[in-house]
Amino acid sequence: MKRLAIVGMPNTGKSTFFNRITGSSSRVGNWPGVTIDLLSAHIVLGGEAVEVIDLPGIYDLHGFSEDEQIVRNFLENNPVELIGVILNASQLDHQLPLALQFCKLGIQPLILINMIDEAYQLGIHIDVEALADGLHCPVLLMSARHGTGFNEVRETLTRYISEARPKPLDDMRNCLHADDAIVQQSDALIDRCVSAPSTLVRKITERIDRVLLHPWLGLPLFFAVMFLMFQVVYTLGGPLQDAVAFVLEAFKNSALIPLENVLSPVLYGFLIDGLYDGIGTVASFVPVIILFFFMMAIVEDSGYLARAAFLTDSLMARMGLDGRGFVMILMGFGCNVPALMGTRVMRSRGLRWLTMLVVPFSLCSARLQVFVFITTALFSPRQAPVVLFFMYLASFAAAFLTAAVFGNRLRSDEPFVLELPPYRAPLLQQVLLRGWHEISHFLRRASTFIISGVVLVWLLTHYPEGSTPGGAGTWASMLGEWLKPVLDPIGISAAMAVVLLFGFVAKEIVIGAIVAMTGLEGTALNGYLATQMDIIQAISFMLFVLLYTPCLSTLATQLTESRSWKFTGISLAWSLSLAWVVSFVFYQGARTLGY
Amino acid sequence: MINLSNLGIGDRAFITGIHAPDGMRQRLQSMGLRTGREAEVIRSSRLGPMQIRVGSIHLIMRRCDAARVIISADR
Repeated sequence: MKRLAIVGMPNTGKSTFFNRITGSSSRVGNWPGVTIDLLSAHIVLGGEAVEVIDLPGIYDLHGFSEDEQIVRNFLENNPVELIGVILNASQLDHQLPLALQFCKLGIQPLILINMIDEAYQLGIHIDVEALADGLHCPVLLMSARHGTGFNEVRETLTRYISEARPKPLDDMRNCLHADDAIVQQSDALIDRCVSAPSTLVRKITERIDRVLLHPWLGLPLFFAVMFLMFQVVYTLGGPLQDAVAFVLEAFKNSALIPLENVLSPVLYGFLIDGLYDGIGTVASFVPVIILFFFMMAIVEDSGYLARAAFLTDSLMARMGLDGRGFVMILMGFGCNVPALMGTRVMRSRGLRWLTMLVVPFSLCSARLQVFVFITTALFSPRQAPVVLFFMYLASFAAAFLTAAVFGNRLRSDEPFVLELPPYRAPLLQQVLLRGWHEISHFLRRASTFIISGVVLVWLLTHYPEGSTPGGAGTWASMLGEWLKPVLDPIGISAAMAVVLLFGFVAKEIVIGAIVAMTGLEGTALNGYLATQMDIIQAISFMLFVLLYTPCLSTLATQLTESRSWKFTGISLAWSLSLAWVVSFVFYQGARTLGY
Repeated sequence: MINLSNLGIGDRAFITGIHAPDGMRQRLQSMGLRTGREAEVIRSSRLGPMQIRVGSIHLIMRRCDAARVIISADR
């Protein structure tokens, strides 16, 4: 099958073009020599099957950033017949050197000048024929967003792909070396072929920025936008999660429970309490991930995310993070899983990993449920909000501490330079596709890990045979007894240790686990909790729950996003030890002071 | 020798060089900060990053990175 690689700088509408030419048939996949997933799709051009690959947006084919290396590695390891170079029509002076770099590779290039409508509005005129002459390859004008010129692009692609031959990979490797003359050649071509007003003024964008990047108003507006985004994702996501749970529960009651008489108890327990509940855990994340990435696509495509980075950078720079990381940490207060996936907007690995270490300390809504339950059970109505507020402070403190500890180790050499694109209205199709891609990514990559984890915890809390589920005699309670020397100094009883094990799967099931374990509800349950821990133990327990590990799904996402067991292991070890030390200091300190 | 971080809002100057290790220099150049190009400061605050226009593209960069870009009043 022939291959068409789509390349270009960030913010050129590369993905819009890719989505327009491939429809929604695209999928993410692995490629030889490349360490990240790339989006690709199979299409038919003039009766010939063609694989289209969307390569990461880059500024320089010979540069040293990770994305630039990825593009080179891809071209060195995968034969490509045709390269579609997408350029932004109003920034040709800036982008043509990249096009020339691709032209020199010896693969048939096709220069697609995008966003031609914006360029016309700015008074830019492009002499396409002269440019095609100078570049020795076809040049086409188009608007991927509106479809202008798209038929011609398709025809030209069809014409060239049938005759195009890939370049031998060895030649390609020799070819991928820097060429200094390229910039001069580009400048000469621009002088000859492009006429633009001497100062390009982005009138509308500048007018919006005057408000959104205002020295005093900018930050409050940023927080307002974040609040709105948070509300949309989690107030809309909550009922949707309930709906998913309702459907799964209904299916379980009507179709699965009757199987109890047919299947052996062991198989039934494994299938229903292990496997099916595992699937339920995965499914509960689907609504928030989709909604989160709807909102992220809007914030990102509109150009606001770069503004957010601008506004919060002074605060974040000291932590070794950047403004986009701040957005993810804030979103993590709803749910850590989509926030971790969202760090993908950061292209530098050090920065991204640091953000992924910090995000799990955001006090997510699932942990909040546990804290609300415990504080209502054990504290007076006057104390409870203060304790909750203290938990939020601890969450922020842990995030700052983590950034301070790991900041130097993960510091990246890349300068912090971001393009500030003009504001653009996000396209509905792009927003929808983004949600779809992210959710299929999550389901494919993280679901096995999550389901296996749920099954494992089910085994630990229900076996060996004959033990009370979640109670004495199970492997889980043996583990609790075994961990006594570690948990005693922080005031956590063996029974609560089993609860921590459930909490590792998902914080949402912690309360359910306590209910199931004790068979108590309402006031009786509150009374039971009071026998298990006093106020100091309760705070110590909550601090531990806040920090020890967000949940199995967060861990699975860290693993699939970093693709590193080492990173995930370090993150887990760090949060476990931090949780223990903080709880220890608090508990022993409070006891020493006589509380 | 003055650098980009010395400029105030609305000031323009020509880039004469970049003082940075190879990888970082190439990165800055590929973002459009090339010798001979004119740069204009659009936004700047004492604590936060700067907004710079080079040709048709707007960049945000930290002061410490802007300080690596050497400029002069004429080409």
